[in-house]
Amino acid sequence: MRQVGIEVPKVDVLEKALGEAKYGADLPTGELLFLKVLRSPKPHAKIVRIEMDEALRVPGVEKIFIAKDIPGKNLVGTITKDQPILASDRVRYIGDPVALVVANGEEFAEQATKKLRVIYEDLPAVFQPEEALQPYAPLIHDKGNLLLEFHVIKGDSPRGFKEADVIVEETYTTTWVDHAYLEPDAGISYLDEQGRITVVCPTQNVHYDQKEVASVLSLPLDQVRIIQSVTGGGFGGRLDITVQCLLALAVFHLKRPVKIIYSREEVFQITSKRHPLKIRYKSGAKRDGTLSAVEVDILGDTGAYASYGSTVAIRSAVHATGPYQVPNVKVRSRMVYTNNSWSGAMRGFGVPQMAFAHESQMDLLAQALNMDPIEIRLKNCLRVGSETATGQTLMASVGIGETLNKVKEWRERGFFSKNNPKRPFIKKGIGIGSMWYGVGNTGIANPSTAQVEVDPNGEIRLFTGVADIGQGSDTILLQIASETIGVSLKDFRLIRADTAITTDAGATSASRQTYISGNAILNAIKNLKEVAIGEASQLLSIDEKDLFYEEGKVKSRTCLTTSIPIKEIAKRCGRVIRGEGYFDPETTRLDPETGQGAPYATYAFATHLAEVEVDLETGKVRVNRMVASHDVGKAIHPKNVMGQIMGGVAMGTGFALMEEFIPGKTTSFVNYLIPTSKDVPEVIPIVVEEKEPTGPFGAKGVGEPALIPSAPAILNAIADAIGERIYHLPANLERVLEAIHKSKQR
Amino acid sequence: MIPPFEYKIPKTIEEACDLLWQAEGKSKIIAGGTDLVIGLRNGDQSPQVIIDITRIEELRKIGEMNGVLSIGAAITHSELASSSWVKKYGKVLSDAASEIGSPQVRNLGTIGGNIINASPAADTIPPLMVLNAMGRVVSKEGERQVPLYQLFKGPYETNLKPYELLTQVIFLKLPSDMRSSFVRLARREAMAIARMSVAVVFQIERGKIEDIRIAVGSVTPTPQRMLEAETFLKGKPLDEASFQKASHKVSEKMISQSGIRPTTSYKKPVVEALFIRAMRKALEEQA
Repeated sequence: MRQVGIEVPKVDVLEKALGEAKYGADLPTGELLFLKVLRSPKPHAKIVRIEMDEALRVPGVEKIFIAKDIPGKNLVGTITKDQPILASDRVRYIGDPVALVVANGEEFAEQATKKLRVIYEDLPAVFQPEEALQPYAPLIHDKGNLLLEFHVIKGDSPRGFKEADVIVEETYTTTWVDHAYLEPDAGISYLDEQGRITVVCPTQNVHYDQKEVASVLSLPLDQVRIIQSVTGGGFGGRLDITVQCLLALAVFHLKRPVKIIYSREEVFQITSKRHPLKIRYKSGAKRDGTLSAVEVDILGDTGAYASYGSTVAIRSAVHATGPYQVPNVKVRSRMVYTNNSWSGAMRGFGVPQMAFAHESQMDLLAQALNMDPIEIRLKNCLRVGSETATGQTLMASVGIGETLNKVKEWRERGFFSKNNPKRPFIKKGIGIGSMWYGVGNTGIANPSTAQVEVDPNGEIRLFTGVADIGQGSDTILLQIASETIGVSLKDFRLIRADTAITTDAGATSASRQTYISGNAILNAIKNLKEVAIGEASQLLSIDEKDLFYEEGKVKSRTCLTTSIPIKEIAKRCGRVIRGEGYFDPETTRLDPETGQGAPYATYAFATHLAEVEVDLETGKVRVNRMVASHDVGKAIHPKNVMGQIMGGVAMGTGFALMEEFIPGKTTSFVNYLIPTSKDVPEVIPIVVEEKEPTGPFGAKGVGEPALIPSAPAILNAIADAIGERIYHLPANLERVLEAIHKSKQR
Repeated sequence: MIPPFEYKIPKTIEEACDLLWQAEGKSKIIAGGTDLVIGLRNGDQSPQVIIDITRIEELRKIGEMNGVLSIGAAITHSELASSSWVKKYGKVLSDAASEIGSPQVRNLGTIGGNIINASPAADTIPPLMVLNAMGRVVSKEGERQVPLYQLFKGPYETNLKPYELLTQVIFLKLPSDMRSSFVRLARREAMAIARMSVAVVFQIERGKIEDIRIAVGSVTPTPQRMLEAETFLKGKPLDEASFQKASHKVSEKMISQSGIRPTTSYKKPVVEALFIRAMRKALEEQA
């Protein structure tokens, strides 16, 4: 191996380090009109009328668009299309877009926005999922407030509980979390040389954006072009439509280039959030620690719109057991509309919330059984041949046990520090968090496509629709291609994430691109090799079956000295030779009644071990260290995998201790705290490689798994330190101190 | 969008006072801008004139004369934190300044701005209160010296007239046998507003506490001296029991000022603990 498994420089690193990368807001300004959105200050109201005369009189204002100016379908959404681009008759949350001002300059656009008058008639609003399910609750959408109810049922859970020697039952809650990507949403739109409406902006999925823009404008797909700009983070927040449709709407009507930049406050107010989940969790285990049953009830708040609500409801149910064998499982998962900010995809699709619950339960069981937290996990963890809660038998690459063993080694080496008698008010604790994560979308087709071509001039081009959002797919996909073709990475040109010249690779989400698009590229190269052998057969007058491909050349099986490099083949043919690839992971649809099926082709596994110190007098928690052990199948780029793990730990620390978005209150980074460099623990990343036979070079994925075990490990470490457990995230000063007081009262 | 304004850069205090007078209340003073710029951006502030005082030489000096330390209003938190004079004669203040925000904020934000912004959570105010600091205030009407605690009217509100300029903060050099400390609690390790802070200064004579001053931040509408606790501790031995009792006086005062709120159940034990911690820290550090 020359390119895979080594640390090549990331292909985008220099451009970014030099500040040359053009993010959304950096895109050319020139003669652009500027857009500004007027948003709803009300959580639920009818729009009686919009008075725009005064706003139109602001100098520099070109046009003000409202819902009736949308030529096509004024509803978007990744699964359920229920979210208007501009609210037509009513607003459903604080931040709903109502009007779009187009002006010659940002300040005029902003002035005009302030002069717009919207007459609202308040509607009763509902903010609690439980209340939203009541029969007389105000309806947020006509079809009712329950977006989805999903079940996973296996075995006989009442019998499982009868067999249990200990049962623990608790309720866990989590809150809204923002992606807090560094780059505010922004973009430009114009008519390209072919007259297509072209949008350039940060995104995680250009082909999805293209479909939505075309639908909103009622245009054929080929009249819309989306190009991904350099993207400063995504974490799921850029899977939904942000600025695309607004930009395209203005160009559709005005035929002039336009630009929009969201303020940080807008980004906080109107992009999706992590779903708050309320999880009632009952677990039973036998005296030896073997899990006999779990029953889980999940209630989620999707806010005003569906977005990925159903995905989260299903994925959280499927992952509810954690990475353990449980013979008897009963899960109910419901996702509910409210007038809160809308929830969507956020690194993990509900699994981080579930991991907080199932890992707390594992520690509670260990405590009740007087078992070591690692041993109880090792006893129950999935293995090759195990059957999951959805009845899927795992055939290979089940590294959970190995990730546990690795952190156990660190613990037994006495790596963690002891309490300092001179600081009696600081108590240390350690805690374990494990997780599993199905790579790719849940039980549905989610294919990727790719092309590789060799030019007569010797250039090798890799075409992919994959959006690199900073996670490193550009580099990883090139490594895979370079290794497989047997040609240096430097000879490649990457053409990516532009709907006019690349084909659909699906979303950069669900930790799927290395596995799925990596495989699509492998298939494209397989096809390219066949084409190359065919051409070589002609050129060399050797039968195809006597030729094979190796290290960048087509070689003869019979004559060791006869070979022709792939670049030479293209040159001598005088045309581009090309391979096409497609890959869709093998999954089965989940049964709608029981949730049984094989929803993912492969799973990633991980375990984190946290050391925390808790200030017993203030409730302040510091995370000192995190040993983070991840089964990624195969690290295509080990440093990049470690980078993902470190970023995940940072985000997980925020999820555990401080991040909390309060709709209508949180405005920006002033009151939404994420960990600073001083809050992030020392991270010891450990890469476990239980190769996935169907993965490219054995690889699976690490994007979301990196974050998931951190918060449970931290919360378990806090419980270890103070002798009392926290059931609500984040474990902020107040909650920790309250728990400390509770533990003292016992 | 920040609405347009005139930007003036006076070179002398006199010039600044003229500009303030002429602006008839429609001006704002800028030094580091770490508070004002946020106000301009979110629309809370829309002055017609902004007067930049950072080029006034006198406001950029830390001076020492006749046992008095004077700190120019435009001295940044970084300068406070690294000044050998402040470290020597008012360590409680340099300690507090070193914990503000982040290096970027400390390089811009100034002591004058921190005072005039009058946030209940201002980090330099409790230390200045225990140092018995006075503000020198200058205007076209003349000059006056005001004890710092008299400057504050309420949260984000001072008693200064719109045409007055805070030029210096002055305090008597803390004698070397005086002990002091500052403790601060926030939701994260940097770039976080203080959830609570405590500053103490005291002297020990024959094993007993003398001349103690205590101030707390973030838990009362304006930072406050804790006079009841001070009175109680005078003449008391340096033992846990005295600290405990005094800590209750601190929390009682807090509650009497802020009333019982949903957050009181958190703040009460924590302000008590932080006070005791500040006392211990002062004893340990300079023992």
